Amino acid sequence: MTMAARSRAGWTWLTCGLAGLAFVAGVQAQSGSSRSQMKFEEIGAQAGVRFVHSTRKFTGKHKADVLQMFTDGGAAVAVGDYNNDGLDDLFVVDSDTGKPHHLMRNNGEWTFTEVTQSAGVGGGNDALSICSDALWFDYNNDGWLDLLVGRFGTPILYRNEGPDQEGKHRFTDVSQAAGLTQFGNTIGMIAFDADRDGWLDLLLGHYFQPVNLLDLKTPHVLPNNLDYADNGGGVTFWRNVPLPDGGRGFVDVTQAAGFAHHTGWTLDLGHADLNNDGWQDVYLAGDYGTDRLFMNKADGSGTFVEVTETATGFDTRKGMNVDIGDFNRDGWLDIYVTNITDEYMKECNMLWHNNGDGTFIDLSRETGTCDTDWGWAAKFADFDNDGWEDLFALNGLRSAGEQNYIPVLLEMIITPGIDFSDINSYPDIGNMTWSGYQKQRLFHNMGDGTFKEVGAAAGADNNLDGRGLGVADFNNDGFLDVYQTNANQPALLLRGKPENPGSWVELKLIGTTSNRDAIGARVIVTAAGESYLREVNGGNGYAGQSTTRLHFGLGRAPQIDKVEIRWPNGQVETLPPQQTAKLINTFAYVREGKGVVSK
Amino acid sequence: MTQAMRQMVSAMVMMGAIGLVSVMGVWASAGDALYQAAQEAAKAEQYEVALEKFEAALTVDPNHLVYGNAYRQTVVKINDSKTYDRCIAFFKQLVTDHPKAANAWMNYGYAYVDKIPIEGAITQVLLANTALGHFSTAVELEETWLSRYTRGNSYLYWPAIFGRTPQAIADLERAIKMAQETTQRSYHVRAYIALGEAYWRLSNPDKAHSIWREALQLFPDNEALKTRLELDAKGLNDFLTAHFEPSRRVDTNVSIIWEEKD
Repeated sequence: MTMAARSRAGWTWLTCGLAGLAFVAGVQAQSGSSRSQMKFEEIGAQAGVRFVHSTRKFTGKHKADVLQMFTDGGAAVAVGDYNNDGLDDLFVVDSDTGKPHHLMRNNGEWTFTEVTQSAGVGGGNDALSICSDALWFDYNNDGWLDLLVGRFGTPILYRNEGPDQEGKHRFTDVSQAAGLTQFGNTIGMIAFDADRDGWLDLLLGHYFQPVNLLDLKTPHVLPNNLDYADNGGGVTFWRNVPLPDGGRGFVDVTQAAGFAHHTGWTLDLGHADLNNDGWQDVYLAGDYGTDRLFMNKADGSGTFVEVTETATGFDTRKGMNVDIGDFNRDGWLDIYVTNITDEYMKECNMLWHNNGDGTFIDLSRETGTCDTDWGWAAKFADFDNDGWEDLFALNGLRSAGEQNYIPVLLEMIITPGIDFSDINSYPDIGNMTWSGYQKQRLFHNMGDGTFKEVGAAAGADNNLDGRGLGVADFNNDGFLDVYQTNANQPALLLRGKPENPGSWVELKLIGTTSNRDAIGARVIVTAAGESYLREVNGGNGYAGQSTTRLHFGLGRAPQIDKVEIRWPNGQVETLPPQQTAKLINTFAYVREGKGVVSK
Repeated sequence: MTQAMRQMVSAMVMMGAIGLVSVMGVWASAGDALYQAAQEAAKAEQYEVALEKFEAALTVDPNHLVYGNAYRQTVVKINDSKTYDRCIAFFKQLVTDHPKAANAWMNYGYAYVDKIPIEGAITQVLLANTALGHFSTAVELEETWLSRYTRGNSYLYWPAIFGRTPQAIADLERAIKMAQETTQRSYHVRAYIALGEAYWRLSNPDKAHSIWREALQLFPDNEALKTRLELDAKGLNDFLTAHFEPSRRVDTNVSIIWEEKD
């Protein structure tokens, strides 16, 4: 029996055994007309957050058209409660020259107020830099979320100074003092505590090698192979360290951490404890080459060992997104990676089922999550609170005129001896469409190891050129909402209004000896005999950061029986029964060592 | 007459029937001994020995479709990138040394097709396109039912967006015409099946069904035809979409041509 066959057999056993038992209970609880259904209402305009993203327009001697095509990203969103008022706020990224970002304070009840100017976080799209991503994280553990803006350029770290006398939050650019001055073509960013020292480290994913595309010295900057490219930007890893002045900063430890040999075209990054050893591991999604999996050495050094060959095998697909969740509730976190699947390219997405023995098997075909066209961000989330994490996947590269770019591109690709790395090799795209007008996919987790696509019925099948997802419960009603960014198109706000939803609980964890954001904390909620596992992540998912609150759908459970928290430092805490009993259908703060607190 | 001699005569008759006259007489050559040794080594899973013997046999007779076919099937059985590359490199040298050997060009093209399933999406395109070029050379050197069908089928694997389906239709119609001018063989049905699939690619299922129904008159027991005709529109779409999945191996074993008995 091959490894894949063994793994597949193991998975079957798992679903028939552990998860199968849970499935039976779940179906019985939700049979017939009581079955929950996902529904969304798009309210971006009325909420005042329908921002139109603009990709960078290039000028100069090199092929501007081609460069714009290759940098057709940056429509990103970061969700976080920057003012600690109990409502998740929005930071929406723009990319064209001089275009400001948008910091939107959530007022509750579906209104937002733009505070970009007073906060001082609108900049970054200068003549030599393109903003591409954003990440909220409390880098100095002072209790206020700080903001990192990723760029094709140097990153910008804004320290949240807290509220002034008028209650307005101001941010200070501390990039230089914090040591974040290294140029990179950054497309993805995650924060987590690799060495469990209580401070958040940074992993930055870079697409192009570190050359300034806005001041090109050579046209040979594109992938040197369209399946096995090794001339990308790789990743850089930054350890959070104390500064002489008592503040915090970062030092580049990419080499020591074990990431330096990766020189692929990183598009997204994800972290989680994939082998249940209490330490955060890393999955890198790569364009034009293989994805890579790194396991934490679990010795406090904050270093990693690559296990791609034994864990997943090398692939040649176009990894676009990493999200991590326990889709079949077997107690092991699984990985969802979007790729490119279209009429002309059948890569299929990858749903890496965690076999629990250090290996993973791709079950995207078996689960029905293989084909999402030209994939971008995708997120696990229980949108109908039925107790099973669903999948929302964005699609679409470029919706424009009637002419299709693919046949034009093909002529270039099959030209003998063509140099793929040379931007002059590529035909202009002009107003041509390339994998455009593709509908988003919403996969309902059926609880039996399969998903059913319900985008149209749920009102989530728009055909915009999706890029990033920010999933959060913006109005604290217990139902997850979605902020969807789109390249060169308006963003959408999809309000979650599921029918016959299940019960739920949302937990915002606050670290004390662990990092303040509790990123890396693992919570297992037990209700009606079922166990639900979530981890707090620091930015998993392409071009989007979702809420760091943990949202649990609980099916028809009438109450919660147990909440067990493994904090990022490894300490395990079980909430007292009297606190647990009150949690059903509520949003609660949990402070490390203190249990449920008021805030 | 010994069994080996009977097989030799049978093979010669078959090849003559399909236009592969250029390989006649090779069974008695030095290449045959090498071929037999290669087959035995392959059967014993002594692959390195098998590959060397096959290559030696083909060096003796570059145009031998049977040798080349067995060589490639052994490479497919080994199924690793290095061996596929070795096979491609061997045929590249073979056609360089023997540019008029049509069957060597056919095998050269098949060698690229054989590697497609293990490659990435873009590399698959490059391999398929290179294979097409070699099949075209084979057609130009020696037009046979097999060369026309192979090239037509090769065009057929390209999604309709690339505009190569009409070329598939032209080749497949030509293959059918050539078949109609000779004794009917069971494998001739493949051109009809592929021609119908070409019209499916062009979103013309009625024409596809018409071709398959016509073929069923000629090949009433053919299960592949029946399967296609019995499926509803969605079923056919799902079936053929899966059929043309690039990662799914295309069977390039053409031994049915000389193995079919009268």
